[in-house]
Amino acid sequence: MATPLGKWTLALDGGAAPERSLIGGKAWSLARMRELDLPVPPAFVVTTQACTEFLKSGSEPPELAAELAAGIAWLEAQTGRSFGHGSKPLLVSVRSGASISMPGMMDTVLNLGINAATEAALAAECGDAAFARDTHRRFEELYRSIVLRGDPGEVPEAAPSQLQAAVRAVFDSWNSRRAKRYRQHNNIPDDLGTAVTVQAMVFGNLDANSGTGVLFTRNPLDGTPEPYGEYLARAQGEDVVSGKFTPKPLEEMRKTVPQALEALLAAARTLEHEHRDVQDIEFTVQQSKLWLLQSRAAKRAAPAALRIAVDLVNEERIDKATALSRVTPEQLASLTNPCLEDPDNGGKPPLAAGESACPGVGIGMVVTDSDEAEKRAAAGEHVVLARPTTSPEDLHGMIAAKAIITEQGGSTSHAAVVSRSLGRPCVVGCGDGSLTALKGRVVTVCGATGRIHDGPLPVMRPSEVNDFRLAQFMEWKRVAEQKN
Amino acid sequence: MQIPDAHLVLHGLAIKKHADAAAVGKLVGLPIERASKALADAVKRGRANEAQGRFILAPMARMALDGEYSKYYSDLRGNADFVAAYEGFERINVELKQLITDWQTIDVAGKRVPNDHSNAAHDEKVISRIGDMHERADKLFARLAAGLPRLQIYRDHLLQALEKAEDGAIEWISDARIDSYHTVWFELHEELLRLMGRTRVE
Repeated sequence: MATPLGKWTLALDGGAAPERSLIGGKAWSLARMRELDLPVPPAFVVTTQACTEFLKSGSEPPELAAELAAGIAWLEAQTGRSFGHGSKPLLVSVRSGASISMPGMMDTVLNLGINAATEAALAAECGDAAFARDTHRRFEELYRSIVLRGDPGEVPEAAPSQLQAAVRAVFDSWNSRRAKRYRQHNNIPDDLGTAVTVQAMVFGNLDANSGTGVLFTRNPLDGTPEPYGEYLARAQGEDVVSGKFTPKPLEEMRKTVPQALEALLAAARTLEHEHRDVQDIEFTVQQSKLWLLQSRAAKRAAPAALRIAVDLVNEERIDKATALSRVTPEQLASLTNPCLEDPDNGGKPPLAAGESACPGVGIGMVVTDSDEAEKRAAAGEHVVLARPTTSPEDLHGMIAAKAIITEQGGSTSHAAVVSRSLGRPCVVGCGDGSLTALKGRVVTVCGATGRIHDGPLPVMRPSEVNDFRLAQFMEWKRVAEQKN
Repeated sequence: MQIPDAHLVLHGLAIKKHADAAAVGKLVGLPIERASKALADAVKRGRANEAQGRFILAPMARMALDGEYSKYYSDLRGNADFVAAYEGFERINVELKQLITDWQTIDVAGKRVPNDHSNAAHDEKVISRIGDMHERADKLFARLAAGLPRLQIYRDHLLQALEKAEDGAIEWISDARIDSYHTVWFELHEELLRLMGRTRVE
């Protein structure tokens, strides 16, 4: 059991994980990771009981402020850093977490504990004033939008005040419009309450032996059973996501932080074993020491979903029923979608090319007007709709077309959004004037590669004949269906 | 300025093509009888075409319509709070488009692949982010409706679509065939572009 810091808070110190209903799902998975002896940054939890008390009486339990201070003191002792002052500042994240996850709950506030003094200390410590400034700016932004909810107000300088306000905002979010509706709709009692997890932040940018990355226990694109991931030295998590820097393969860690890499690979095995599914693990290395930030079931592309489900059965990790539940009908359908026999078209340059917005192959005659597309399609013709951009009044033409191509716009444009919702192959942003000349020609649109080829090209449909895992999976599915 | 029914119904058709009289009336805030009558007049005058009770703009009527907005909405274009709310909408529109893209495609190890909705955690998170954005956007919708009361209909429809999606009917996020969150949002965007006399970027 975790160690109580008082009546309402628990330090997650590696003992057996407390009840999920008491500490919420997020803290529970942290506690479970610590129980498995995995390195997660120290954290303490304000229990759901404190929230229930707050909901009942309308204010925080009187002991809470002192217990938050005790929790912070424990984090300070664990990390050797200090909260709100000192040369090595402790920053924390504050997140909500009920035993059942629900929408409308407070988002995570990061970098809490930063103020003018700790910004200066952090700048000196990592030798990067811009980073410290950015950390401060990001905190203020999050605090304004999440804690103050866009209303005017001050961001407190005193770190304990920041923490108290954030904890209260978590409690308040229990009664947000969305959370209330969700509970009502799903028959979840209104008095369960949410826990609050306060966790020490770690820094991947302190020196050359620090960095941040993500590891998938198997390749999430094709399912190859080998760890797959990226590492960016001297960086924080946002840097990887922002795309401003190019991360390196995990092997790069061997040069600077070999022990952290070994620990990471071992943790990956433990976590996949524990969860019996491919994991997506976020981690940070702070001065050669590995810290795991999060592990969750990885998002995966359809080919990976199939391969991983079949492989895990063959490795005796899951049973066939579980495997069948891990590949959705949509994923199966997409695995047998028609594709070009020769995606390269024998090296012949395409007529036009742009950004892939929705995969699939569509063949037809190019028309440039939505009304005409609708008319011709109604007469049984196959058409490809080409537009500079699309707007709501092109919808009927988009529904009628076999594929949609546009000259302007990117992957978030109207054409891209609508084509995906209709399942129409779509290529966007082919360039001004690039499509008008195609009017009246028969073309093949390859949504996956973003190319428009001259004439109708041969297509093929992947099948059980040429994919043994698909054959195995379909066989299990048939047997299961017969049993029912 | 009093805006004639003849303009309002054609404007409605510019937003919602193939709509029937009831849908046009609802969108532009006219009782169905008045919308029906104005649409019938428009058909008679060759400004709209009817097929099975649904209407579309006649090609020439579109150009005429485009020229009318500056006349009817000059007050609105000079209403500082309305214009500021519109500009706020354009900013939040960038966020909405990214959210819809995150809804439809997922990032798998740096590669965008279609979201087949097999990852409930991802879907819940995006719906939650849309809900969060909606609550900020709703303040703008309120200001827009304060400037032009008939815009309240978009505000109501957006909340309806969002709540259906939150209750598990996820097609209400972006299905183009129904009044999903994205459909209504996009119609509102088209509406505002027309009122303000701006053109679409993409």
